[in-house]
Amino acid sequence: MSAILFYVATIIVYGAVDSMACLALNVQFGFAGLSNFGFIIFQAGGAYVAAVLSMGPWQKSNEGFQSYVLGWHLAWPLPWIGAALFGGLLALPFVFLVGKRLRGDFAAVGLLVSAVLLNQLVNNFVPLFNGAAGISIVPAPFSHYWNPQGLAYQFVYGGVAVVLTVLVYFLLRRVTESPYGRSLRAMRDNDIVADALGKNVRVQRTSMLILGGMIAGLSGAILVGFINLWAPGAWGYAETIVLFAAIIVGGAGNHKGAVLGALLVPLGFEEVTRFIPPLSNPALVPALEWVAIGLLIIGFLWFRPDGILPERRRILSGAGKSSLPMPVPSSGESDSLINLGNLDQMDFRQLLRLEGDASDHGIILSTDRLTRAFHGVTVVSEVSIEFQRGRLTGLIGPNGAGKSTTLAMLAGTLAPTSGKVLYEGRDITSMPSNERAKSGMIRTFQLASEFKKLTVLENLVSAIPRQSGDSFVGALRGRRFWGRDDAENIERASEMLEGFGLTQYADSYAGGLSGGQRRLVEIMRALLAQPTILLLDEPMAGVHPNLAHKIGDQLTRLVASGMTIVMVEHELAIMDAFCDPVIVLAEGRVLAQGTMSELRAMKEVVEAYLVG
Amino acid sequence: MSVFLSSLGFGLISAAVLAIATVGFTMQFAVTNVLNLAYGSVMINSAFVTYYLNYHAHLNAWVAMIGGVLTGAIASYLLNRFVFTPFQRRNLPPITIVIVALGVDLCGTFGLQAIVGGSYFSYRQSLGRERHFWGMYLSTLQLIIIGICVVVMGLIHWLLKYTRLGKAMRATSANASLARNSGIRTQRVISSTWLISGALCGLAGTVFAMNTGVFEATSAQLYIVLLLAAMFLGGPGSAYGAMLGALTIGVATELSAGYFNPEYKEVIAFVVLLGMLTFRPYGLFGSEKTI
Repeated sequence: MSAILFYVATIIVYGAVDSMACLALNVQFGFAGLSNFGFIIFQAGGAYVAAVLSMGPWQKSNEGFQSYVLGWHLAWPLPWIGAALFGGLLALPFVFLVGKRLRGDFAAVGLLVSAVLLNQLVNNFVPLFNGAAGISIVPAPFSHYWNPQGLAYQFVYGGVAVVLTVLVYFLLRRVTESPYGRSLRAMRDNDIVADALGKNVRVQRTSMLILGGMIAGLSGAILVGFINLWAPGAWGYAETIVLFAAIIVGGAGNHKGAVLGALLVPLGFEEVTRFIPPLSNPALVPALEWVAIGLLIIGFLWFRPDGILPERRRILSGAGKSSLPMPVPSSGESDSLINLGNLDQMDFRQLLRLEGDASDHGIILSTDRLTRAFHGVTVVSEVSIEFQRGRLTGLIGPNGAGKSTTLAMLAGTLAPTSGKVLYEGRDITSMPSNERAKSGMIRTFQLASEFKKLTVLENLVSAIPRQSGDSFVGALRGRRFWGRDDAENIERASEMLEGFGLTQYADSYAGGLSGGQRRLVEIMRALLAQPTILLLDEPMAGVHPNLAHKIGDQLTRLVASGMTIVMVEHELAIMDAFCDPVIVLAEGRVLAQGTMSELRAMKEVVEAYLVG
Repeated sequence: MSVFLSSLGFGLISAAVLAIATVGFTMQFAVTNVLNLAYGSVMINSAFVTYYLNYHAHLNAWVAMIGGVLTGAIASYLLNRFVFTPFQRRNLPPITIVIVALGVDLCGTFGLQAIVGGSYFSYRQSLGRERHFWGMYLSTLQLIIIGICVVVMGLIHWLLKYTRLGKAMRATSANASLARNSGIRTQRVISSTWLISGALCGLAGTVFAMNTGVFEATSAQLYIVLLLAAMFLGGPGSAYGAMLGALTIGVATELSAGYFNPEYKEVIAFVVLLGMLTFRPYGLFGSEKTI
């Protein structure tokens, strides 16, 4: 009987450790889109630090059979705290891998290789880690109060592990169910767009790397205190793949899914295979276990990519709280049927907090000999242009004229090869795009750029600047701190949605909308970012002409209330109707500038269009 | 000086094996944008097919190698056709494909281990006479491996520069949709690429096993580190970059093993890889991928 109870206690501890690890990895992978293939480094690092902090000083005479560092003989819970702190510190060397410049899969490969190599180093480096043998006789944390061999101790340990796991669960939920969590998911869905809306992608990823690392370190500490030994063989890079399998099976982006996955995959596999009788080939069962993990990953990603418990759709609108079924948008729906609600009654000045004098038409943004080359081919060449405050300036030109490239350089998405960008007289050429966004320069993208697995309303709210819950600390302070502000932001976004006649889609995933609807979502989202200057990259492309004109009318109204808009288009009809002045680019140079009627009179402009 | 020269000799051998492997790996990335982390498992499975033909069917190891090469080609083709392509059709982010590849790697490596067990194997093959020149000691076997590498690299150069297929590969790599619109049958180009790169993978697996002497089912698991380092040094997707990267990494690891500690010889590859990812993720020469 007691053998079974001992077994149950062991299962509880292992289950808690695996759950904690999966919760942490899920926040990184499922919420922030950070594929930390080196997760095991953090767990192993925390476990080692917990071990050596709790062990006595290293002496050659008695315990000299194994070598290690520190040996501070600290009492519980200090070694565990140390483990968590170390796990967080370990994130720092990897910060450069998670910047926005590096493709996600390249960063993941970097982390994977780090895990492989560090494991090999530890295996061979005796002075610090005692090599492949690892360290044993790690003190049991509560041995002052209970006999570690007794059943009571085992259950107390299991209880502590479970309580800590529950605390981690609620801590992570507090982070992810906040405006900050929304920003994390936005970054997961499209990091370049999140950056262009003013989110600091590098800081967000670093924070999640540190937070996940701390929890991983703690989980390692719990494990090492229970089994009393630490050997590098148990922390191979493939263990991370097991945790990934757990999250994919359980459901990425769902905390309960992470726990379920932890109980099914790492724990389940370990325990089920324990009861398989020994075979003549001792390598067979572990080998088949790995094969099963591999098949599980491939099978789930193919047949049930969202896992057993898929990510929850966040219902923000009041309407969603009733049990009415939400309309499912069909992508085949004709965009000409979109009815732009009561847009004409909408008070943009109030809704978008527009400030400043609408009659001031001074220069707000200019470029000085802006140049960009790709592979030695100059796409934009010495472009010097000026944009007036409170005007809708059009940028036209044939395909390949450098319009989008110029816009990207204005927004900071692309660095110029040479030349300068000046914003209100200040040189901002080296200012990162997310900071430009924060200072009021918001761009949209030519290609679809909605955050697919955020609802339409979440897409809009995510763009609103200066949200009180949109920081790690703000999120930790809880709903009481940011709830009121968030409700107000949701209110504003809903108002915008109503104006554009899309209220019925508030709680639908943006990824499921039709092309025209997604365009509208992007424009609304850009507006809610409260731009001083709005940079639109072909906003009317693929939009029904009727709708395009309705949008154009609203842009004119926005300009009249003091906003500056720069719009790239090659539809001349749109330019005719709304843009003044218009700048013509051809082959990377400014060809002409003026009102549309002036430009129509110029022979070279007409030629550029006909030839281009 | 003698340490330098003998390490250089070892380095050339490592580089020869690595170059064959990396060129195949980088071609797969160039044409399909897949970081095929299951590459090592295909390598070792091919090496075992060679082993079977050599040891149990009593074929000469060099003849048996043809079986390994064919295994690599067919396995890679099937992998792309039935795993990577269907997943890619779903428009999933590249990271999902990488995770799938890791799953395939586990199945391939440990499926093999389940069959052959955990013991060590070696080919029935003589190393040949040891030759000594300019302070380097190389066996006949190693000289043949270097020779194979030189010939294969020459063939790849010819393929990419002078054949229609090679040009189509380069076009597909640079811009797949543009290539398709220009009348290139990209699906066929991709299939050919996986067959050719798979053959390189099978060849690399066999010469890797020959060069190591003894091998087991999990022997190639760490090889992916060297491979990635060589690829990123030369620029991901660039075949010539891969050759140069393999030469650098092969020689550098053996030199560091000669002068410092052989147990840490992969460290230099690791440092190179992280350095490249940090500062020049598109290689020393490339700014975007080009085959």
